[in-house]
Amino acid sequence: MSTAGPPARPSLGRALLRLFTVQGSWNYERMQGIGMGVSEQPLIRDLAGNGTAYRAAVARAAQFFNAHPYLCGLAVGATARAEHDGVPPEQVVRLRTALCGPLGALGDRLVWAGWLPLTSGLALIGVALGLGVRAVLGFLIVYNIGHVALRWWALRAGWTYGGRVATALREPVLQRATTLSAPAMALVTGAALPLVAQSLASGFVGWTRAALAVVAAAGFALLWWRRARLTGLRFGLVLLALATLGGWLWH
Amino acid sequence: MSISPEVQLILLAWGTLVGLDLVSVPQMMIARPIVAGPIAGAILGDAVTGLQLGVLFELFQYDILPVGAVRYPEYGPATVAAVSAAHAAAGTLGLGVGALVGLITAMAGGASLQAVRRLNTRAVHRAAAALESGEPRTLERLHVAGILRDAARAAIVTAIGLGLAQLARDSLHGTLSPRGVVLLNVASVGAALAAGTAGTLRLIGRGPGLRWFAVGLVGGAAAVWLR
Repeated sequence: MSTAGPPARPSLGRALLRLFTVQGSWNYERMQGIGMGVSEQPLIRDLAGNGTAYRAAVARAAQFFNAHPYLCGLAVGATARAEHDGVPPEQVVRLRTALCGPLGALGDRLVWAGWLPLTSGLALIGVALGLGVRAVLGFLIVYNIGHVALRWWALRAGWTYGGRVATALREPVLQRATTLSAPAMALVTGAALPLVAQSLASGFVGWTRAALAVVAAAGFALLWWRRARLTGLRFGLVLLALATLGGWLWH
Repeated sequence: MSISPEVQLILLAWGTLVGLDLVSVPQMMIARPIVAGPIAGAILGDAVTGLQLGVLFELFQYDILPVGAVRYPEYGPATVAAVSAAHAAAGTLGLGVGALVGLITAMAGGASLQAVRRLNTRAVHRAAAALESGEPRTLERLHVAGILRDAARAAIVTAIGLGLAQLARDSLHGTLSPRGVVLLNVASVGAALAAGTAGTLRLIGRGPGLRWFAVGLVGGAAAVWLR
Protein backbone atom coordinates (compact mmCIF):
# COMPACT_ATOMS: atom_id res chain seq x y z
CA MET A 1 0.00 0.00 0.00
CA SER A 2 1.21 3.52 -0.76
CA THR A 3 2.63 5.42 2.21
CA ALA A 4 2.18 8.88 0.67
CA GLY A 5 -0.46 11.25 2.07
CA PRO A 6 -4.15 11.02 1.13
CA PRO A 7 -4.82 11.56 -2.59
CA ALA A 8 -6.29 14.87 -3.73
CA ARG A 9 -10.07 14.49 -3.88
CA PRO A 10 -11.17 14.52 -7.51
CA SER A 11 -14.30 16.44 -8.44
CA LEU A 12 -17.16 14.22 -7.34
CA GLY A 13 -19.75 16.11 -9.41
CA ARG A 14 -19.26 14.16 -12.63
CA ALA A 15 -19.37 10.85 -10.81
CA LEU A 16 -22.56 11.96 -9.04
CA LEU A 17 -24.21 12.89 -12.34
CA ARG A 18 -23.29 9.52 -13.82
CA LEU A 19 -24.64 7.77 -10.72
CA PHE A 20 -28.10 9.06 -11.63
CA THR A 21 -27.88 6.67 -14.60
CA VAL A 22 -26.31 3.78 -12.68
CA GLN A 23 -29.08 1.34 -13.65
CA GLY A 24 -29.26 2.42 -17.30
CA SER A 25 -27.58 -0.75 -18.55
CA TRP A 26 -28.98 -3.14 -15.90
CA ASN A 27 -28.54 -6.73 -17.08
CA TYR A 28 -28.73 -10.24 -15.68
CA GLU A 29 -24.99 -10.89 -16.00
CA ARG A 30 -23.44 -7.93 -14.16
CA MET A 31 -26.62 -6.24 -12.93
CA GLN A 32 -25.48 -2.64 -12.11
CA GLY A 33 -21.83 -3.43 -12.92
CA ILE A 34 -21.63 -1.47 -16.18
CA GLY A 35 -23.26 1.59 -14.63
CA MET A 36 -20.89 1.35 -11.67
CA GLY A 37 -17.89 1.29 -14.00
CA VAL A 38 -19.14 4.31 -15.94
CA SER A 39 -19.77 6.20 -12.68
CA GLU A 40 -16.33 5.40 -11.28
CA GLN A 41 -14.43 6.47 -14.41
CA PRO A 42 -14.17 10.21 -13.54
CA LEU A 43 -12.67 9.33 -10.15
CA ILE A 44 -9.98 6.94 -11.37
CA ARG A 45 -9.02 8.56 -14.67
CA ASP A 46 -5.91 10.12 -13.12
CA LEU A 47 -4.52 6.88 -11.71
CA ALA A 48 -0.80 6.54 -12.24
CA GLY A 49 0.61 3.77 -14.46
CA ASN A 50 0.49 5.06 -18.03
CA GLY A 51 -3.11 3.97 -18.56
CA THR A 52 -2.53 0.38 -17.47
CA ALA A 53 -3.65 0.94 -13.89
CA TYR A 54 -6.65 2.91 -15.11
CA ARG A 55 -7.78 0.13 -17.45
CA ALA A 56 -7.33 -2.52 -14.78
CA ALA A 57 -9.35 -0.39 -12.35
CA VAL A 58 -12.10 0.16 -14.95
CA ALA A 59 -12.30 -3.61 -15.52
CA ARG A 60 -12.72 -4.18 -11.77
CA ALA A 61 -15.26 -1.34 -11.48
CA ALA A 62 -17.46 -2.90 -14.18
CA GLN A 63 -17.73 -6.31 -12.58
CA PHE A 64 -20.95 -7.67 -11.09
CA PHE A 65 -22.60 -5.34 -8.61
CA ASN A 66 -26.07 -5.13 -7.15
CA ALA A 67 -27.21 -2.79 -4.40
CA HIS A 68 -29.70 -0.02 -3.84
CA PRO A 69 -29.17 2.51 -6.68
CA TYR A 70 -29.12 5.53 -4.35
CA LEU A 71 -26.30 4.02 -2.29
CA CYS A 72 -24.14 2.80 -5.18
CA GLY A 73 -22.09 5.98 -4.75
CA LEU A 74 -20.75 4.64 -1.47
CA ALA A 75 -19.17 1.70 -3.29
CA VAL A 76 -18.03 3.90 -6.20
CA GLY A 77 -16.33 6.38 -3.85
CA ALA A 78 -14.84 3.71 -1.61
CA THR A 79 -13.36 1.60 -4.41
CA ALA A 80 -12.06 4.67 -6.27
CA ARG A 81 -10.34 5.82 -3.08
CA ALA A 82 -8.97 2.31 -2.52
CA GLU A 83 -7.56 2.32 -6.08
CA HIS A 84 -5.86 5.67 -5.39
CA ASP A 85 -4.53 4.40 -2.07
CA GLY A 86 -2.85 1.51 -3.87
CA VAL A 87 -4.92 -1.20 -2.17
CA PRO A 88 -4.19 -4.59 -3.81
CA PRO A 89 -6.68 -5.43 -6.62
CA GLU A 90 -8.06 -8.54 -4.92
CA GLN A 91 -8.90 -6.45 -1.84
CA VAL A 92 -10.69 -3.87 -3.99
CA VAL A 93 -12.79 -6.64 -5.52
CA ARG A 94 -13.52 -8.06 -2.06
CA LEU A 95 -14.55 -4.60 -0.84
CA ARG A 96 -17.05 -4.22 -3.70
CA THR A 97 -18.46 -7.68 -3.15
CA ALA A 98 -18.79 -7.12 0.60
CA LEU A 99 -20.74 -3.88 0.05
CA CYS A 100 -23.49 -5.37 -2.16
CA GLY A 101 -25.56 -6.97 0.62
CA PRO A 102 -25.42 -4.18 3.24
CA LEU A 103 -26.05 -1.38 0.73
CA GLY A 104 -28.96 -3.30 -0.79
CA ALA A 105 -30.56 -4.05 2.55
CA LEU A 106 -30.01 -0.55 3.93
CA GLY A 107 -31.37 1.17 0.81
CA ASP A 108 -34.40 -1.08 0.62
CA ARG A 109 -35.28 -0.36 4.26
CA LEU A 110 -34.45 3.33 4.15
CA VAL A 111 -35.87 4.26 0.73
CA TRP A 112 -38.16 1.63 -0.84
CA ALA A 113 -39.81 0.67 2.46
CA GLY A 114 -39.34 4.03 4.22
CA TRP A 115 -38.81 7.38 2.55
CA LEU A 116 -40.69 6.64 -0.70
CA PRO A 117 -43.95 5.25 0.76
CA LEU A 118 -43.77 7.88 3.52
CA THR A 119 -43.61 10.85 1.12
CA SER A 120 -45.99 9.23 -1.36
CA GLY A 121 -48.44 8.60 1.51
CA LEU A 122 -48.22 12.27 2.47
CA ALA A 123 -48.98 13.18 -1.17
CA LEU A 124 -52.02 10.87 -1.14
CA ILE A 125 -53.25 12.54 2.06
CA GLY A 126 -52.70 15.96 0.47
CA VAL A 127 -54.66 15.02 -2.66
CA ALA A 128 -57.46 13.47 -0.57
CA LEU A 129 -57.67 16.67 1.49
CA GLY A 130 -58.04 18.75 -1.66
CA LEU A 131 -54.52 20.11 -2.12
CA GLY A 132 -54.50 18.74 -5.67
CA VAL A 133 -51.39 19.27 -7.78
CA ARG A 134 -49.68 21.17 -4.93
CA ALA A 135 -49.50 17.91 -2.98
CA VAL A 136 -47.89 16.22 -5.99
CA LEU A 137 -45.33 19.01 -6.40
CA GLY A 138 -44.62 18.87 -2.68
CA PHE A 139 -43.98 15.12 -2.97
CA LEU A 140 -41.56 15.60 -5.87
CA ILE A 141 -39.60 18.31 -4.05
CA VAL A 142 -39.47 16.71 -0.59
CA TYR A 143 -38.74 13.21 -1.91
CA ASN A 144 -35.93 14.43 -4.13
CA ILE A 145 -34.30 16.53 -1.40
CA GLY A 146 -33.84 13.25 0.48
CA HIS A 147 -32.96 11.36 -2.69
CA VAL A 148 -30.21 13.71 -3.90
CA ALA A 149 -28.87 14.24 -0.36
CA LEU A 150 -28.54 10.47 0.10
CA ARG A 151 -26.76 10.00 -3.23
CA TRP A 152 -24.36 12.87 -2.45
CA TRP A 153 -23.69 11.68 1.11
CA ALA A 154 -23.02 8.14 -0.15
CA LEU A 155 -20.48 9.21 -2.76
CA ARG A 156 -18.68 11.64 -0.45
CA ALA A 157 -18.62 9.17 2.45
CA GLY A 158 -17.32 6.44 0.15
CA TRP A 159 -14.43 8.61 -1.00
CA THR A 160 -13.71 9.86 2.54
CA TYR A 161 -13.60 6.43 4.18
CA GLY A 162 -12.24 4.31 1.32
CA GLY A 163 -11.51 0.80 2.57
CA ARG A 164 -12.96 1.65 6.01
CA VAL A 165 -16.33 2.43 4.46
CA ALA A 166 -18.19 0.22 6.96
CA THR A 167 -17.64 3.08 9.44
CA ALA A 168 -19.84 5.32 7.28
CA LEU A 169 -22.70 2.84 7.51
CA ARG A 170 -22.60 3.16 11.31
CA GLU A 171 -23.09 6.95 11.29
CA PRO A 172 -25.73 7.92 13.91
CA VAL A 173 -27.82 9.99 11.48
CA LEU A 174 -28.14 7.04 9.14
CA GLN A 175 -28.98 4.66 11.97
CA ARG A 176 -31.64 7.03 13.31
CA ALA A 177 -33.15 7.59 9.85
CA THR A 178 -33.38 3.84 9.33
CA THR A 179 -35.01 3.34 12.73
CA LEU A 180 -37.52 6.16 12.29
CA SER A 181 -38.47 5.66 8.64
CA ALA A 182 -40.41 2.40 9.13
CA PRO A 183 -42.83 3.58 11.88
CA ALA A 184 -43.25 6.97 10.18
CA MET A 185 -44.11 5.23 6.90
CA ALA A 186 -46.57 2.91 8.68
CA LEU A 187 -48.28 5.83 10.44
CA VAL A 188 -48.63 7.92 7.27
CA THR A 189 -49.80 5.12 4.97
CA GLY A 190 -52.25 3.99 7.67
CA ALA A 191 -53.71 7.51 7.78
CA ALA A 192 -53.71 7.83 3.98
CA LEU A 193 -55.80 4.73 3.25
CA PRO A 194 -59.16 5.83 4.80
CA LEU A 195 -58.78 9.33 3.36
CA VAL A 196 -58.00 8.01 -0.12
CA ALA A 197 -60.87 5.50 0.13
CA GLN A 198 -63.26 8.34 0.96
CA SER A 199 -61.89 10.49 -1.85
CA LEU A 200 -62.18 7.73 -4.47
CA ALA A 201 -65.61 6.63 -3.23
CA SER A 202 -67.05 10.15 -3.39
CA GLY A 203 -68.47 9.48 -6.86
CA PHE A 204 -70.38 6.42 -5.68
CA VAL A 205 -73.80 6.57 -4.05
CA GLY A 206 -76.36 4.08 -2.68
CA TRP A 207 -75.78 0.40 -3.46
CA THR A 208 -72.61 1.12 -5.46
CA ARG A 209 -70.89 2.39 -2.30
CA ALA A 210 -71.85 -0.82 -0.45
CA ALA A 211 -70.66 -2.88 -3.42
CA LEU A 212 -67.36 -1.00 -3.40
CA ALA A 213 -66.85 -1.77 0.31
CA VAL A 214 -67.56 -5.47 -0.32
CA VAL A 215 -65.21 -5.66 -3.34
CA ALA A 216 -62.40 -3.86 -1.48
CA ALA A 217 -62.75 -6.01 1.66
CA ALA A 218 -63.07 -9.30 -0.23
CA GLY A 219 -60.19 -8.32 -2.52
CA PHE A 220 -57.97 -7.48 0.41
CA ALA A 221 -58.79 -10.79 2.10
CA LEU A 222 -58.03 -12.68 -1.12
CA LEU A 223 -54.77 -10.81 -1.78
CA TRP A 224 -53.64 -11.35 1.81
CA TRP A 225 -54.58 -15.04 1.87
CA ARG A 226 -52.97 -15.76 -1.53
CA ARG A 227 -50.11 -13.23 -1.14
CA ALA A 228 -47.46 -15.64 -2.37
CA ARG A 229 -49.19 -16.11 -5.73
CA LEU A 230 -51.76 -13.38 -6.37
CA THR A 231 -50.66 -9.83 -7.21
CA GLY A 232 -52.72 -6.66 -7.24
CA LEU A 233 -52.27 -6.47 -11.02
CA ARG A 234 -53.67 -9.95 -11.67
CA PHE A 235 -56.51 -9.44 -9.24
CA GLY A 236 -57.38 -6.09 -10.82
CA LEU A 237 -57.28 -7.48 -14.35
CA VAL A 238 -59.53 -10.45 -13.50
CA LEU A 239 -61.98 -8.24 -11.64
CA LEU A 240 -62.13 -5.69 -14.46
CA ALA A 241 -62.57 -8.43 -17.07
CA LEU A 242 -65.48 -9.83 -15.07
CA ALA A 243 -66.95 -6.35 -14.65
CA THR A 244 -66.68 -5.67 -18.40
CA LEU A 245 -68.41 -8.95 -19.16
CA GLY A 246 -71.08 -8.16 -16.58
CA GLY A 247 -71.52 -4.71 -18.09
CA TRP A 248 -72.17 -6.17 -21.52
CA LEU A 249 -74.70 -8.67 -20.21
CA TRP A 250 -76.48 -6.44 -17.64
CA HIS A 251 -78.55 -3.91 -19.57
CA MET B 1 -63.83 12.62 -27.49
CA SER B 2 -60.85 12.52 -29.81
CA ILE B 3 -57.35 13.63 -28.89
CA SER B 4 -55.34 15.60 -31.44
CA PRO B 5 -52.12 14.07 -32.85
CA GLU B 6 -50.09 16.90 -31.26
CA VAL B 7 -51.43 16.09 -27.79
CA GLN B 8 -50.87 12.35 -28.43
CA LEU B 9 -47.24 13.14 -29.27
CA ILE B 10 -46.80 15.16 -26.06
CA LEU B 11 -48.34 12.27 -24.09
CA LEU B 12 -45.95 9.87 -25.85
CA ALA B 13 -42.98 12.05 -24.89
CA TRP B 14 -44.19 12.29 -21.28
CA GLY B 15 -44.78 8.52 -21.09
CA THR B 16 -41.26 7.93 -22.44
CA LEU B 17 -39.71 10.17 -19.78
CA VAL B 18 -41.80 8.48 -17.12
CA GLY B 19 -40.76 5.01 -18.31
CA LEU B 20 -37.11 6.02 -18.42
CA ASP B 21 -37.30 7.35 -14.87
CA LEU B 22 -38.48 4.04 -13.41
CA VAL B 23 -35.13 2.27 -13.62
CA SER B 24 -32.62 4.08 -15.83
CA VAL B 25 -32.50 7.86 -15.46
CA PRO B 26 -32.78 9.59 -12.94
CA GLN B 27 -35.20 7.76 -10.61
CA MET B 28 -36.63 11.03 -9.31
CA MET B 29 -40.06 9.37 -9.09
CA ILE B 30 -41.86 11.05 -11.97
CA ALA B 31 -42.58 7.38 -12.73
CA ARG B 32 -44.88 7.25 -9.70
CA PRO B 33 -48.53 7.28 -10.84
CA ILE B 34 -49.27 10.13 -8.40
CA VAL B 35 -46.94 12.28 -10.55
CA ALA B 36 -47.39 10.74 -14.00
CA GLY B 37 -51.21 10.92 -13.82
CA PRO B 38 -51.76 14.60 -12.95
CA ILE B 39 -49.22 15.76 -15.54
CA ALA B 40 -50.86 13.59 -18.22
CA GLY B 41 -54.15 15.11 -17.09
CA ALA B 42 -52.70 18.62 -17.37
CA ILE B 43 -51.50 17.83 -20.92
CA LEU B 44 -55.06 16.82 -21.78
CA GLY B 45 -56.54 19.80 -19.94
CA ASP B 46 -58.20 17.41 -17.48
CA ALA B 47 -56.24 17.58 -14.23
CA VAL B 48 -59.07 16.07 -12.15
CA THR B 49 -59.10 12.79 -14.09
CA GLY B 50 -55.29 12.76 -14.00
CA LEU B 51 -55.28 13.13 -10.22
CA GLN B 52 -57.98 10.49 -9.72
CA LEU B 53 -56.16 7.90 -11.83
CA GLY B 54 -52.84 8.94 -10.32
CA VAL B 55 -54.20 8.12 -6.87
CA LEU B 56 -55.81 4.89 -8.11
CA PHE B 57 -52.60 3.57 -9.67
CA GLU B 58 -50.50 4.80 -6.76
CA LEU B 59 -52.49 2.32 -4.66
CA PHE B 60 -51.66 -0.46 -7.14
CA GLN B 61 -48.02 0.66 -6.96
CA TYR B 62 -48.02 -0.02 -3.19
CA ASP B 63 -48.46 -3.67 -4.09
CA ILE B 64 -44.89 -3.93 -5.39
CA LEU B 65 -41.46 -3.50 -3.85
CA PRO B 66 -38.80 -3.06 -6.58
CA VAL B 67 -35.94 -4.87 -4.87
CA GLY B 68 -33.13 -6.74 -6.63
CA ALA B 69 -34.08 -8.47 -9.87
CA VAL B 70 -37.73 -8.89 -8.90
CA ARG B 71 -40.27 -8.72 -11.76
CA TYR B 72 -42.94 -6.07 -11.43
CA PRO B 73 -45.51 -4.25 -13.57
CA GLU B 74 -44.76 -0.74 -14.77
CA TYR B 75 -47.42 1.71 -13.64
CA GLY B 76 -45.93 5.02 -14.93
CA PRO B 77 -46.65 4.89 -18.69
CA ALA B 78 -49.71 2.82 -17.78
CA THR B 79 -51.12 5.77 -15.84
CA VAL B 80 -50.48 8.08 -18.80
CA ALA B 81 -52.42 5.70 -21.06
CA ALA B 82 -55.16 5.31 -18.43
CA VAL B 83 -55.65 9.07 -18.18
CA SER B 84 -55.85 9.28 -21.97
CA ALA B 85 -58.54 6.57 -22.02
CA ALA B 86 -60.53 8.06 -19.15
CA HIS B 87 -60.37 11.60 -20.52
CA ALA B 88 -63.10 10.73 -23.02
CA ALA B 89 -65.65 10.40 -20.23
CA ALA B 90 -66.12 13.04 -17.56
CA GLY B 91 -65.25 12.47 -13.88
CA THR B 92 -65.79 9.10 -12.26
CA LEU B 93 -67.37 7.63 -15.41
CA GLY B 94 -63.98 7.15 -17.02
CA LEU B 95 -62.14 5.62 -14.06
CA GLY B 96 -63.01 2.01 -14.91
CA VAL B 97 -62.09 2.31 -18.58
CA GLY B 98 -58.86 4.04 -17.62
CA ALA B 99 -58.01 1.36 -15.06
CA LEU B 100 -58.62 -1.43 -17.59
CA VAL B 101 -56.32 0.19 -20.16
CA GLY B 102 -53.77 1.05 -17.48
CA LEU B 103 -53.53 -2.44 -16.00
CA ILE B 104 -53.04 -4.05 -19.41
CA THR B 105 -50.35 -1.46 -20.23
CA ALA B 106 -48.69 -2.06 -16.85
CA MET B 107 -48.46 -5.76 -17.62
CA ALA B 108 -46.93 -5.02 -21.04
CA GLY B 109 -44.50 -2.58 -19.40
CA GLY B 110 -43.35 -5.21 -16.91
CA ALA B 111 -42.74 -7.73 -19.69
CA SER B 112 -40.84 -5.13 -21.75
CA LEU B 113 -38.47 -4.47 -18.84
CA GLN B 114 -37.46 -8.13 -18.86
CA ALA B 115 -36.95 -8.01 -22.63
CA VAL B 116 -34.63 -4.98 -22.38
CA ARG B 117 -32.67 -6.61 -19.57
CA ARG B 118 -32.19 -9.70 -21.74
CA LEU B 119 -31.00 -7.52 -24.65
CA ASN B 120 -28.59 -5.74 -22.30
CA THR B 121 -27.29 -9.10 -21.08
CA ARG B 122 -26.60 -10.23 -24.64
CA ALA B 123 -24.76 -6.98 -25.42
CA VAL B 124 -22.65 -7.32 -22.27
CA HIS B 125 -21.92 -10.95 -23.08
CA ARG B 126 -20.73 -10.00 -26.58
CA ALA B 127 -18.44 -7.30 -25.16
CA ALA B 128 -17.01 -9.54 -22.42
CA ALA B 129 -13.43 -9.50 -23.74
CA ALA B 130 -13.29 -5.71 -24.05
CA LEU B 131 -14.82 -5.33 -20.59
CA GLU B 132 -12.28 -7.69 -19.04
CA SER B 133 -9.48 -5.63 -20.54
CA GLY B 134 -11.01 -2.43 -19.07
CA GLU B 135 -11.80 -0.74 -22.37
CA PRO B 136 -13.44 2.54 -21.24
CA ARG B 137 -15.12 3.34 -24.56
CA THR B 138 -16.80 -0.08 -24.72
CA LEU B 139 -18.10 0.44 -21.22
CA GLU B 140 -19.55 3.85 -22.08
CA ARG B 141 -21.03 2.58 -25.35
CA LEU B 142 -22.75 -0.33 -23.59
CA HIS B 143 -24.16 1.99 -20.97
CA VAL B 144 -25.50 4.57 -23.43
CA ALA B 145 -26.96 1.79 -25.60
CA GLY B 146 -28.73 0.39 -22.52
CA ILE B 147 -30.29 3.78 -21.75
CA LEU B 148 -31.37 4.23 -25.39
CA ARG B 149 -32.90 0.74 -25.37
CA ASP B 150 -34.86 1.64 -22.24
CA ALA B 151 -36.04 4.91 -23.81
CA ALA B 152 -37.22 3.02 -26.91
CA ARG B 153 -38.94 0.47 -24.67
CA ALA B 154 -40.72 3.20 -22.70
CA ALA B 155 -41.85 4.87 -25.93
CA ILE B 156 -43.19 1.60 -27.33
CA VAL B 157 -45.04 0.77 -24.10
CA THR B 158 -46.59 4.25 -23.99
CA ALA B 159 -47.56 3.99 -27.67
CA ILE B 160 -49.21 0.62 -27.03
CA GLY B 161 -51.03 2.13 -24.05
CA LEU B 162 -52.23 5.13 -26.04
CA GLY B 163 -53.36 2.80 -28.85
CA LEU B 164 -55.27 0.69 -26.33
CA ALA B 165 -56.82 3.87 -24.91
CA GLN B 166 -58.07 4.79 -28.38
CA LEU B 167 -59.40 1.26 -28.89
CA ALA B 168 -61.14 1.27 -25.51
CA ARG B 169 -62.71 4.66 -26.21
CA ASP B 170 -64.03 3.44 -29.56
CA SER B 171 -65.21 0.00 -28.47
CA LEU B 172 -66.43 0.45 -24.87
CA HIS B 173 -68.12 3.83 -24.94
CA GLY B 174 -71.70 3.42 -26.02
CA THR B 175 -71.40 -0.35 -25.81
CA LEU B 176 -71.45 -0.56 -22.03
CA SER B 177 -74.72 0.23 -20.29
CA PRO B 178 -74.69 2.82 -17.48
CA ARG B 179 -74.82 -0.14 -15.06
CA GLY B 180 -71.84 -1.67 -16.83
CA VAL B 181 -69.87 1.54 -16.44
CA VAL B 182 -70.70 1.58 -12.72
CA LEU B 183 -69.60 -2.07 -12.41
CA LEU B 184 -66.29 -1.24 -14.07
CA ASN B 185 -65.76 1.71 -11.76
CA VAL B 186 -66.59 -0.30 -8.64
CA ALA B 187 -64.19 -3.05 -9.76
CA SER B 188 -61.34 -0.62 -10.47
CA VAL B 189 -61.59 1.37 -7.24
CA GLY B 190 -62.24 -1.78 -5.15
CA ALA B 191 -59.24 -3.58 -6.66
CA ALA B 192 -56.99 -0.55 -6.11
CA LEU B 193 -58.02 -0.19 -2.46
CA ALA B 194 -57.53 -3.92 -1.87
CA ALA B 195 -54.12 -3.95 -3.59
CA GLY B 196 -52.98 -0.80 -1.78
CA THR B 197 -53.98 -2.09 1.65
CA ALA B 198 -52.54 -5.59 1.14
CA GLY B 199 -49.31 -4.18 -0.31
CA THR B 200 -48.87 -1.71 2.54
CA LEU B 201 -49.40 -4.41 5.14
CA ARG B 202 -46.88 -6.68 3.40
CA LEU B 203 -44.38 -3.83 3.48
CA ILE B 204 -44.97 -3.14 7.16
CA GLY B 205 -44.91 -6.78 8.26
CA ARG B 206 -45.79 -8.00 11.72
CA GLY B 207 -43.29 -5.91 13.71
CA PRO B 208 -43.84 -2.72 15.71
CA GLY B 209 -44.73 -0.92 12.47
CA LEU B 210 -48.12 -2.64 12.60
CA ARG B 211 -49.03 -0.67 15.74
CA TRP B 212 -48.09 2.60 14.03
CA PHE B 213 -50.15 1.55 11.02
CA ALA B 214 -53.16 0.95 13.29
CA VAL B 215 -52.67 4.38 14.91
CA GLY B 216 -52.53 5.98 11.45
CA LEU B 217 -55.60 4.06 10.32
CA VAL B 218 -57.59 5.27 13.32
CA GLY B 219 -56.37 8.83 12.76
CA GLY B 220 -57.27 8.69 9.07
CA ALA B 221 -60.72 7.25 9.85
CA ALA B 222 -61.28 10.00 12.43
CA ALA B 223 -60.33 12.62 9.83
CA VAL B 224 -62.82 11.09 7.39
CA TRP B 225 -65.54 11.15 10.06
CA LEU B 226 -64.80 14.76 10.97
CA ARG B 227 -64.89 16.02 7.37
